[in-house]
Amino acid sequence: MSLALIAALPFLGALLPGLMIRAGRTACAMATGSATALALIGLLLHAPAVLRGEVVQARFDWMPGLGLNANFFLDGLGLLFAGLILGIGLLIILYARFYLAKTDPMGQFYTYLMLFQGAMVGIVLSDNILLLLIFWELTSLSSFLLIGYWKHLPEGRQGARMALAVTGTGGLAMIAGMLILGGIVGSYDLSVILTQKEAIQASDWYLPALILILLGAFTKSAQFPFHFWLPHAMAAPTPVSAYLHSATMVKAGLFLMARMWPVLAGTDAWFYIVATTGLVTMVMAAKIALFKDDLKALLAFSTVSHLGLITMLLGFGTAEAAAVAVFHIINHATFKAALFMSAGIIDHEAHTRDIKRLGGLRTLMPITFTIVTLAALSMAGIPPLNGFLSKEMMLEEATHTVWAGIPWLFAVLATIGAMFSVAYSFRLIGHVFLGPVRDDYPHKPHDPGFGLWAAPAALAVLVVLIGVAPMTMVGDLVTVVAGAVTGGDVTIKISHWHGLVPALWMSVAAVGAGLILFGAHLRLDALWLAAPRPEAKAIFDALVDGIAALSHGVTARLHDGALSRYFVIFTLGVLGAGWLAWSEGGHVPGLRNVLPIPGVALAGWLLLAVCSVLVAVLHRERLLALVVIGVVGLIVSVGFIYLSAPDLALTQISVEVVTIVLMLLALNFLPKTTPRESSTARRLRDIAVAGAAGLSTAALALALMMRDFAFPTISDYHLANSYSGGGGTNVVNVILVDFRGYDTFGEIIVLGIAGLLIFALAEALLRGAANKRLLEWVPELPKSGDRHPLMMVVAGRVALPITLMVGVYIFLRGHNEPGGGFIAGLIVAIALVTQFMASGFAWTQARQRVDYHAFIGFGVVIAAATGLGSWLAARPFLTSNFGYFRIPPFDKFELATAALFDLGVFLTVIGAVMLTLASLSRIAIRAGETVNTTAMDNDPSQPAPAKGGH
Amino acid sequence: MIWEIIVSALLVMAGVFGLVGSFGLIRLPTTMTRLHAPTKATTLGGGGVLVASMIYFAVFMDHYSFHELMITLFLFLTAPITANLIAKAYLHRTERPEDLPPTGTDRGWATYDASADPSRRTDG
Repeated sequence: MSLALIAALPFLGALLPGLMIRAGRTACAMATGSATALALIGLLLHAPAVLRGEVVQARFDWMPGLGLNANFFLDGLGLLFAGLILGIGLLIILYARFYLAKTDPMGQFYTYLMLFQGAMVGIVLSDNILLLLIFWELTSLSSFLLIGYWKHLPEGRQGARMALAVTGTGGLAMIAGMLILGGIVGSYDLSVILTQKEAIQASDWYLPALILILLGAFTKSAQFPFHFWLPHAMAAPTPVSAYLHSATMVKAGLFLMARMWPVLAGTDAWFYIVATTGLVTMVMAAKIALFKDDLKALLAFSTVSHLGLITMLLGFGTAEAAAVAVFHIINHATFKAALFMSAGIIDHEAHTRDIKRLGGLRTLMPITFTIVTLAALSMAGIPPLNGFLSKEMMLEEATHTVWAGIPWLFAVLATIGAMFSVAYSFRLIGHVFLGPVRDDYPHKPHDPGFGLWAAPAALAVLVVLIGVAPMTMVGDLVTVVAGAVTGGDVTIKISHWHGLVPALWMSVAAVGAGLILFGAHLRLDALWLAAPRPEAKAIFDALVDGIAALSHGVTARLHDGALSRYFVIFTLGVLGAGWLAWSEGGHVPGLRNVLPIPGVALAGWLLLAVCSVLVAVLHRERLLALVVIGVVGLIVSVGFIYLSAPDLALTQISVEVVTIVLMLLALNFLPKTTPRESSTARRLRDIAVAGAAGLSTAALALALMMRDFAFPTISDYHLANSYSGGGGTNVVNVILVDFRGYDTFGEIIVLGIAGLLIFALAEALLRGAANKRLLEWVPELPKSGDRHPLMMVVAGRVALPITLMVGVYIFLRGHNEPGGGFIAGLIVAIALVTQFMASGFAWTQARQRVDYHAFIGFGVVIAAATGLGSWLAARPFLTSNFGYFRIPPFDKFELATAALFDLGVFLTVIGAVMLTLASLSRIAIRAGETVNTTAMDNDPSQPAPAKGGH
Repeated sequence: MIWEIIVSALLVMAGVFGLVGSFGLIRLPTTMTRLHAPTKATTLGGGGVLVASMIYFAVFMDHYSFHELMITLFLFLTAPITANLIAKAYLHRTERPEDLPPTGTDRGWATYDASADPSRRTDG
């Protein structure tokens, strides 16, 4: 089975639970389990080849330009971890089926679980460190979802946030470290990186990359000082704790360290950082675990301690220590998952996890007692179980390690750590199961059904088997994995009896001292509770609050909602970037000469400049400013005509008219003059920034005009192919509807959305606080008696058919002469707006009976249909076609599908403009405008009304 | 040759009236008097250019076009309306109804009288 498929199967399996839950919880669990089982079978099919020493690969190009390829490879280390993930995953799926209460949404649970599983398998199988990063972050995300599964519990939510914050920060650091590593090697593929040990360790960037990658690994594997999130993650349901936070996710950091071991390990930096952190974590967490009363908290800190142990072993940097680390990974996964599941069983049955409320369960829950005893004794390191083997080998390695010249430091501290682990393991057995049966359990405990104890029992069996016959069970596996980690061949000899070596005495001493501690637990507990301890969550919360306050302060200064501030920052940023480019770029003046300037053009330019400045100067007199804006628009249109761009001129003029009309309508309700709002200093600053930006832009335009193009211009292609390819001689229009039809399609959609947004804003306006102001609005200027004067109504009516005809004419001729759908749409919109201005909105609207939303919709749909029509001819979207037809007695004329597209543009433009007008009119009616019943006032054909009014 | 003279004469006349109109817009004293100026520039000035254009294209380019007539039609249609609206605005902003000359009928100036629109009558 392809490695990519093995990695993809859990993701595909994530789609099943949401659907299968309708068939019942068992069906849901079986469907989920089948996906995992299938992936596991696929993995095991590769196992013989991998155990022989081969490496299986699967490579897919994804984004080769970035160096990100979907490359997968399977060696011993990947096989071990993938087997752990999928195998324990299968057991967890079974366990969770029976653990989750009827009210817990099981489909959601399994979906998140499978997402996590897929991400984890992706981490261990990926051959590309960028791909690994993607899966890494995905595990953080899915862990967040799983920890916060019981959303109604505050500790669940807070635990999930804490886990995400810590592992996410580590992930961010790891991204930087991985990028540095890839930069040193020149490739992001692990198979290349793992061969470049000398190059990496000799590089200056080795230490930064090492620290950053280790940050990622330490946060994920809960090493000191990032260990605090793991106990708070125990708010998750027990299957999650057993799967993620003991067997798989927290091992991802260890996996990373093991994977990078061939290239990163062996230096002093690696040794001192990794081994010391591991040692400190191991001892400190074991000590804390002893005094925890919550079963899961004890197991959580014990997990942290064992992870520290494995980290320490990886940190030693020797091949033998790496082999022991691999072996302990296997052992720890087996006994810890079994213990967590048993803790869940006890919680499920006795309805409490507090050790102080438990005791004497061995007769009530014999099966659970057996499982826990086997697993806990293995955790303590008692022969003949597997925990003893790896702990003994660990102590052996510790005696060989020298820390900064002190040869006994590791040995002593490791023994102390082992002592604590013996103590809490016996506490687990003794205080929960031994002793007299109590009469005050929250719920009468008894052994659970087969579904719940099957999974931990299977793991307990494994604990025993590996302990009794290690070489036959896992010898080959450990050999291959150790070889993969160290990059060479390692011979493994695991046995119970190594001779009378110091490690044996250390084990004996640890067991003895641990038993003493266990016996003295009660008194020690009192001392512990009395002593002051740093509270991790409080520190974390204070840190997060501090950073949030800082971010808030910075954001409030930069992003305070004042548009003018954004403009200033934006303009300064662009100016800075432009200046940087200019100073770095090596400026050479252009070669073209300035042509003589005709007087007319100079006059127009002067007028444009003066009017633009006038708008800024006069902006407080809004009506006057609007008039000046109109002047500016007209001069721009004249400029377009001067430069031979008739389409642009037509568009500019019509847009100008529509804009001024609509702005006048809006201005009706706003103050006509505004007071001075900014201080003189502020205005000077704004003038300086705007002036600098304007002059820079002018300089840029001058520079561009004074030199030839840097690239061949695309207009040659368009000019050459406009008639032959598009069927039209108006290049601008052919570009709009044919060459760049897709852009225009997007633009009319945006225009439609803008019209709809204005409509929605008017809706919101008429319901909010502004509504009250509108109802109380009193017009500032006197109202006209005949607001629909006869002359305007008649002239507007007469002009309507003529204008519509002009609009249609411009629409039809657009392909070959200046015109087109957009201009025609604006002209028709202006004609309609004139009717509304003449006779009032409601009167005209009642007679038009058209829904402008439909115009927008039909416009877009017609344009899309035109594009889709080309699919019928097996061509790409929006391929146009044209042909020449003859209907006698007319001349030959051209028909093009682009005309249909233009029709869509036409309709959308009309719809958007009229919808804006409609929205503004609704505001007007709310402000007190009455709806007239006649088309015009003072109609001479009607009888004169009775004399009234003034 | 004669057609050249005619076209040139029309263009010059159009320019003169354009200048007269602009000059009047600046220099005439009150708004109401100023209203006369752009109308001259529009009708005689614009009309002159358009007629010159029609003659030029007909005689020298052999291309008969009539859209200039459309332009003229639109100008004649819209200029009075614009003047009417400017005058109404002026009346409301500056004049008082009492100072205006009588209309000669029993109803006053229309722009001060809202009675024609039934929707705005405040009485029954």
